[in-house]
Amino acid sequence: MGRSVISLDDLTRNNLGTFKKINEVSLPTRYDDEWYEKSFEKNYITKLAFYAELPVGAVRAKAFNCNQIGASYESNQSSKSVQEGVPNSIYVESLAVLEAYRGVGIGNALLNFVIEDTKKRFIHEIVLHVHVDNTEVIEWYKRKGFEQKSEIVKNYYEKQNIANPHAIILSLRV
Amino acid sequence: MVVRHGPILARKEDANFNEALKLYESKQYKKALKLVDQTLKKNSNHAESLALKGCIFHFTGNKQEAEEYIHKALNKGEKNYLVNHLAGVYYRALENYQDAAKWFKATLDNGSPNKHLWRDLSNIQVHVRDYKNLKDSKQAYLEFQPGYRANWTGTAVALHLNKNYSGAVSTLSKIEDIIKDHLQEGDRYEQSECVLYKNSIIAEGGDVEKALEVLEKDDSEIRDRLAFLEYKAKYLYILDRKKEASLVYRELLKRNPDNVNYYLALDDALDLKTKPLETRLRVYEKLQAFYPLSDPPKFLPLCFLPANSPQFHDKAKEYVLSQLKRGVPSTFVNIKHLYKDAAKRDIIAKIVLDFHDNQAPSLAPTVVVWTKFFLTQHYLYLGDFEKANKFADEAISHSPTLVELYMLKARVLKHEHKIAEASQVMEEARKLDLQDRFVNSKSTKYLLRADQVDEAIDKISLFTKLDENAVNGCKDLHLMQVNWVILESAEAYTRLYHAYAKELASLESTNKEEEESEAEVELHEKVELYRGLAIKRYQAIVNIFKSWYNDLFDFHSYCLRRGTPRDYLQSLKWSDHLGATPIYPRAIEGLVSLYLELNEQISTSAEANLGDSSKTKKNNKKQKKARAQNLKKREELIAKVESVKNESDPLGTEFLKSLYSKECNILDLAFALVKPLTEEAQDNVITWRVAYEVYLKQGKYILALQAIKNLERILNPHKTKKLRSMAERVVRLNKACREDQTTNAAIIKVVEKGISTTYPDFNESDVPGFLKLYSH
Repeated sequence: MGRSVISLDDLTRNNLGTFKKINEVSLPTRYDDEWYEKSFEKNYITKLAFYAELPVGAVRAKAFNCNQIGASYESNQSSKSVQEGVPNSIYVESLAVLEAYRGVGIGNALLNFVIEDTKKRFIHEIVLHVHVDNTEVIEWYKRKGFEQKSEIVKNYYEKQNIANPHAIILSLRV
Repeated sequence: MVVRHGPILARKEDANFNEALKLYESKQYKKALKLVDQTLKKNSNHAESLALKGCIFHFTGNKQEAEEYIHKALNKGEKNYLVNHLAGVYYRALENYQDAAKWFKATLDNGSPNKHLWRDLSNIQVHVRDYKNLKDSKQAYLEFQPGYRANWTGTAVALHLNKNYSGAVSTLSKIEDIIKDHLQEGDRYEQSECVLYKNSIIAEGGDVEKALEVLEKDDSEIRDRLAFLEYKAKYLYILDRKKEASLVYRELLKRNPDNVNYYLALDDALDLKTKPLETRLRVYEKLQAFYPLSDPPKFLPLCFLPANSPQFHDKAKEYVLSQLKRGVPSTFVNIKHLYKDAAKRDIIAKIVLDFHDNQAPSLAPTVVVWTKFFLTQHYLYLGDFEKANKFADEAISHSPTLVELYMLKARVLKHEHKIAEASQVMEEARKLDLQDRFVNSKSTKYLLRADQVDEAIDKISLFTKLDENAVNGCKDLHLMQVNWVILESAEAYTRLYHAYAKELASLESTNKEEEESEAEVELHEKVELYRGLAIKRYQAIVNIFKSWYNDLFDFHSYCLRRGTPRDYLQSLKWSDHLGATPIYPRAIEGLVSLYLELNEQISTSAEANLGDSSKTKKNNKKQKKARAQNLKKREELIAKVESVKNESDPLGTEFLKSLYSKECNILDLAFALVKPLTEEAQDNVITWRVAYEVYLKQGKYILALQAIKNLERILNPHKTKKLRSMAERVVRLNKACREDQTTNAAIIKVVEKGISTTYPDFNESDVPGFLKLYSH
């Protein structure tokens, strides 16, 4: 009825539980409560995606200096290293869509939001890690114009209990 | 307002009194008291001053002395209208309306010139439903002040309440005639209401033809066009002018095509039930074309089409699937009404299952999840928990962020009596959306069902107002009269009390020592604590209903002044059945059960010899010691459970103690709670269930028999079942009646006769056989 079936809305303290739930069921990696608490700090870009008013996807990214990129999943999720240096890229920490709602454009909407927000901040690069075996996702990002950067980061997900815990870095110039 | 121009105040004390009265009326209680005391010092028999002192005491919070002074004053000056008036004011403030009415009446009878009292008196009379005397007061007040329309309307209302329809109508017509030519624009609303009120009385009196005629005549006076059309349609239908009635109903449908009652009335007016199915269906199809967004024309055919007709299948399919495809969460609730017919139920289930398996997966993902949601409810309805759980789990793993799914899953678990698990699932739902008040209250309720009262109150406190220094919202919940939380708390406390009492009993039976063990003391304390709190919470609900009733007092003057007699009458009727509000009987049953239990315990412990007393003493000492140690803990507890700030008896212990005392007749208390229920909530099972128990204990066997008959009427309306629960009641009644030595032989006979007419199968010598026969 004139309204799009897909919409985006802000993350708030009240629907933080929904964000948690989406990440828990859709991503192999784990985030602790402290991580979620940081969502409301200044450097973070967060958004929830809704399909027919049902929350089905979420993204969180932060502005940081790409020289600071860490060699392990945990070091990148903690924000300590981020404080130093002028932010020159946006790092996508998590982007998740519920399995039953994939392929209808929700990830696209979330990514576009991040891209737009990146431009607004006069930053020209978006960076993220993907598990090396997750070819489906890697293909998805590549279709969106992402390019693989350098070589594989060994043992990136070592403490996350994932088989073959290596990651690749993808980046997009905007 | 108290009279100024009393008898001639010859003496000084009267002058003094008059001065004091003025001060009292302007709420300068201290100064007034000083003057009154001066008078009483000289003449301690001055009745007016005594009465005034009583009133001053009442309003300054000295309740006990207030009563004494009022009594004294009435003794000395029963015929003094000033004393009478002050007594009336005092009793009205006490909310003792019977006595207030009595003394206001006495004031007027003893020659008070203050005719305004007729109004005060009539307000009290209508509040206690003394319609007979109300009529006279209203009449007297009307004669005193005929210049106000409200007084005419008030007299008409009084006559109407006495079923004097023609008197009411002529009173209303008379004032209509008088002010016909003087109406301002501002009076038009009242005029419209009064005209409609008059009309409804004419119809209620039975002369519908006249009512219709007057309605048409008054057409231009009536502003409430909806009421005009509804009245007109109803009258035409009653007068068997159905064709015309149907036209008016069609007009009403144009105004509001979502009101199902208009469709049903139109159906009747067109006599569709007697016409062939096809014709009836066609009417609804047409209506649906006219009002495509309205639900009734789509739904109603599903009610009257027989399950085996092919149209039913097609219509049901269209109805259910169109909603599922749109993802309407309430689809199941919308069609649940049809589930009374098992054949229709099965057809609908088949349609939805087929849709779920074949069509839904190719549609939007939300369609899949709402279909699973529907099927969970379907199987829950059938009591097939396995399938209900299966669909609920599938739905949750499909859309784990949809709050409704968790709530439904919790409901399924609740029906399986997995209360703790259900509560956890509900909490999971709550965490998804903290600002959703509905799921917050559900989570609270489920926690209360799981007997976690403190946690529950903490949860709902997110949505209550927090006073300064308050640890939770318990006080606000009482202030806001959140009955369901209070009731669920009471029930949870009752369960906790029973659980600890059981634990204590088993501990006591194993511990043969002279002295109570530490654990026993502790348990004993818990038992009394939770029992006290449970009684307290139940009592809070009783108090809330009492205050609702008292709040209605102001409406007696307000509604007439606003010129809304129709709504006023409706509110009177509503408040006559305040006790039928479902939550009230439930609270009464809980409270009375605790009372009866306590009564039983007191009488059995009184029968047991008093040799135990030394032991109890010791226990008390020990308890005291433990209490002293736990003083701080106790304070924390009080902060959590207080219902108002600085409550005098926050844990209900004092009240419980008063119940133990010899002067207290617990059965009388229980009876006082049950009696209003038997008048206001006659169609509620709980009423008669709890009344039966009280009557039995009180030895009122004929009333107990009445309660049984009423229960049978509600539980077994078609007399098709032989209910075990009823048979057991009959057996218990018979036994109690037989064993009671004090019962009059005639009463036994009446009960026996009553039992044998209602339960011809009952045979005293073969109780097991009787119970066997009643197996439902």
